[in-house]
Amino acid sequence: MEQQARVEDDGMALALGRSVQGDSHAFAQLVRQHQGMVFSIAYHFLQDRSLAEDLAQEVFLELYQNLGAIQSPAHLTYWLRRVTSNRCIDHGRRKLRRRELAMEDAPEPVASGATSDPLLLERLQQSLAGLPEKQRMVVILRYQEGLGPAEIAEVMEMPLNTVKSTLHRSLADLRKTLTRRIREVRYAFF
Amino acid sequence: MHFSEDELKNALQRKDPGEGFTQRVMARVEQARMEEKPAPAAKKKANGASTAWWKLRPAWIFAVAAVLFLSAGWAGYRYSEYRHGEEMRIARANQQRLQKEAEAARDQAVLALEIARAKLNHVLQQAQFPADRNDRIRRQRL
Repeated sequence: MEQQARVEDDGMALALGRSVQGDSHAFAQLVRQHQGMVFSIAYHFLQDRSLAEDLAQEVFLELYQNLGAIQSPAHLTYWLRRVTSNRCIDHGRRKLRRRELAMEDAPEPVASGATSDPLLLERLQQSLAGLPEKQRMVVILRYQEGLGPAEIAEVMEMPLNTVKSTLHRSLADLRKTLTRRIREVRYAFF
Repeated sequence: MHFSEDELKNALQRKDPGEGFTQRVMARVEQARMEEKPAPAAKKKANGASTAWWKLRPAWIFAVAAVLFLSAGWAGYRYSEYRHGEEMRIARANQQRLQKEAEAARDQAVLALEIARAKLNHVLQQAQFPADRNDRIRRQRL
């Protein structure tokens, strides 16, 4: 397992080196490797598939233009997370998010996690969309990317204690919103 | 309402951007590369010129304000000069008018004196003849 990870890392380093020299196939390999992460951060933040894809494309375009500044595969991952989260927060601040939920914009059903309640997961996603930008991004980086508070602080350029308090407040807000939503559903039915 | 961390992780699990995402990114990269190639210096210069104007906004505002201030000052100075000239012209005209009036008064006075002198001469002449006649009458009475 560890050996496989090391081989993957070596492959990434090689692809990164070749991309810097202008090899577009190597750059495509980098995109394929990280597209899931970049797209998912954007998608969970924006809750809009086409906007998320657009933003992810812009992030990779920016990566292409700044390839010379990337020093290692770990730095690449860090750089992508930082740029994606900054762009998402900027986007969220610029535009009032459209709340119209067309069929294609609706959160996708969760494939795995058969033990979880799909309705609860959908409600969680919707409640997450109602959080302020920074809180939302902290939750996404913590639970989608599995980053620790120190790593989140580094990516978002925030003090560690602020990250911890933001995370705590975000979870409390999520619980509150979720409870309210479920109450609303109950009142609607009974 | 409680939810576990696993449920939150499930809700936020990574999603695939779908078929052809990499190709679309590469197409955009190619497009950007093609746009970058022709005369990057000229593009940079054009961008620089447009942003330089924008960045120099305070200087432009200061320059316009300074021009307006100087124009207003110059206009005020010119107006005060004009007012001063007008006042001087009116004063000169008044002085000339007074001088003409004084000259006219002097002429009238001279004329009046001439008339008075003529009258007095006449009276004096008249007064000398009857005196002689009166003297003869007075002598005859005596």
